[in-house]
Amino acid sequence: MNRFVIARNIAISAAVVFSFSVARAADDLPKADTVLDKYVEVTGGKAAYEKHHSETSKGTLEIASQGIKGSITSYRAEPNKSYSETELGGFGKIREGSDGTTFWALSAMTGPHIKDGAEKVQAQLSAMNSELHWRDLFKDVKTTGVDTVNGKECYKLQVTPADSSPMEQCYDKISGLMVKQSMTVESPYGPQSITTFAGDYRKEDGVLVPHQIKSSVAGQDIVVTIDSVTYNADIPPGTFALPDEIKALVKK
Amino acid sequence: MRLSFGATIAAALCIVCFAQPTLTPAQRQLNIDSFEQVWTTVRDRHWDPKLNGVDWQAVHDELRPKIERAASMEEARAILSDMLSRLKQTHFGIVPGEAYNELDQKDDTGKTSHSEGDPGIDLRLVDGHALVTFVMPGSPAAAKGVKPGWEILRVDGKEVAPGMAKVHAALGSSMMAELMETRSLMQRLEGPIDKTVEVEFLDGNDRHADLKIGRTGPRGIETVVGTLPPLHFWVEANKIRPDIGYVHFNMFFEPDAIQSAMQKVMAECHDCKGFIIDLRGNPGGLGAMAMGLAGWFTDRSGLRLGTMYMRTTSIKFAVFPRADPFRGPLAILVDGCSASTSEIFAGGMQDLKRARVFGTHTAGAALPSMFTKLPNGDGFQYAVANYISEGGKPLEGIGVTPDQEVKLTRHQLLEGQDPILDAAVSWIHGQ
Repeated sequence: MNRFVIARNIAISAAVVFSFSVARAADDLPKADTVLDKYVEVTGGKAAYEKHHSETSKGTLEIASQGIKGSITSYRAEPNKSYSETELGGFGKIREGSDGTTFWALSAMTGPHIKDGAEKVQAQLSAMNSELHWRDLFKDVKTTGVDTVNGKECYKLQVTPADSSPMEQCYDKISGLMVKQSMTVESPYGPQSITTFAGDYRKEDGVLVPHQIKSSVAGQDIVVTIDSVTYNADIPPGTFALPDEIKALVKK
Repeated sequence: MRLSFGATIAAALCIVCFAQPTLTPAQRQLNIDSFEQVWTTVRDRHWDPKLNGVDWQAVHDELRPKIERAASMEEARAILSDMLSRLKQTHFGIVPGEAYNELDQKDDTGKTSHSEGDPGIDLRLVDGHALVTFVMPGSPAAAKGVKPGWEILRVDGKEVAPGMAKVHAALGSSMMAELMETRSLMQRLEGPIDKTVEVEFLDGNDRHADLKIGRTGPRGIETVVGTLPPLHFWVEANKIRPDIGYVHFNMFFEPDAIQSAMQKVMAECHDCKGFIIDLRGNPGGLGAMAMGLAGWFTDRSGLRLGTMYMRTTSIKFAVFPRADPFRGPLAILVDGCSASTSEIFAGGMQDLKRARVFGTHTAGAALPSMFTKLPNGDGFQYAVANYISEGGKPLEGIGVTPDQEVKLTRHQLLEGQDPILDAAVSWIHGQ
């Protein structure tokens, strides 16, 4: 599920209207625990995830309606270190990350920013192998109904992180893969709704990974395409270190 | 997040008209398709679902028969423009395809043609007179001895005043009049680099000077952002007095370059008494950059410049203080050609009482907008959001009123003075 956050991370605003189908009787639906555990199982299983201690992903980002294209490089390492760099033509670099303690964002456009509160909680959802730790990340999970995504039915779950607003997730009834997520992103720019669709799942070193992530944000459609995923490869030294601008803010 | 840029491009493009021959049935259909696209886009994408109180369906029903009968591109374009004019809002417009393509020319490599240029001058309208305000050192204009304060009377044999009057009449009392008139005249000076432009000036001694001036490539580096035509960006960052930092850039693009410029001048300006951000002539650009720029000048967290409202969401323009911001007096310079992101920054900092604004009233063109190409080949600009400054003012159509209004005069320009800059310097030294 953490890959859905890649698209969210580049979104500073969102405006998405999404519909909810009428929930079926609760006894027709699988328990949310079952759905979430099945996701881990069908994407490779706990043992496959646990072989991975770090990850490097590379891909592209496109906002076709505005002719904007760019590249994304993302690094993650256990337990919750991360660094991503999005380079969009004309926009400069947009960087986000965590050294495990401080979660931050930095771009020449908007300046440096340390994440706090619900924004920090949401950032932690994208930690390495967070799929395995959903019981720690969510204080409440429940199955609320059935939705249809791309013509296929999926179980709709409401998952609620501690100290953050609930999120909707939808898992394909047959494959068990997560195909949709809707959430309100907490940010200094105000709460923003974002709906994300995942597809093109491919196996990478034993784990199924979505390679196409489409997000609707503030009336814009953003498509992230993952070109490569590498596990346990050497990550450049200092990748997770706080940038100087962020260090200076931490010291204040 | 665009991209509040657009007013200048629209202003530059909307001036040009082309006569068209009678349309073929296929072209008529493309105009009808364009009509429907424009109407539907406004219905579905306008930030205000009530469309400023306009009965949009009635507009459709009234104009649809007219577009079906339109016998020329000019007529079709006028109908599309009429439809958009009912909204009574800027940043909604039709750009003639020929004009858009003209500015968006690309060679076989996909790069923009570098054959267009200008004489190397900047100008402003002062009491209805087109005055040179800046001559780029080393430019063809400088080589011909053109000086700030000279008045432009004719370009290529055509009088300037009637053209400006025409634009002015079309715009009425719009705050954008100065911006569009200036752009219109600048466009007349622009052209192929290998050709000269004939300009008749009134020089500093009130004598007529007819000069054939060459053209040079646009100042700055070429920057390409999404579907916008290629633009040229430049930034100046230095100390204009031993104790005053100064940053001047022509548009809110190239955030890395502006950040580097700010870092450079901040490093030199630890003990400066004041700081000046010069946004005169700046038409805007990436709206988010207003937030980044503001962060250099406050150590207070939780501040906002304003809020952008879209149909289903809003975005607060949050300010993220830099680690070691400048805390002294800040002056922001603006004029009638300062638009969009420039207004978001100046208006927001004014509302936060963090800056004093000097110059003349801004363009009042703050809406973020997008360009799309219509089936008939024309460009369509439409706004997707409204913007309210932190003080509760809608900047659109109102603009930013300077705290200290300072107008240019021909006499001062001829004397080599910059009265707006001088007023800011004087204020800083008085703090």
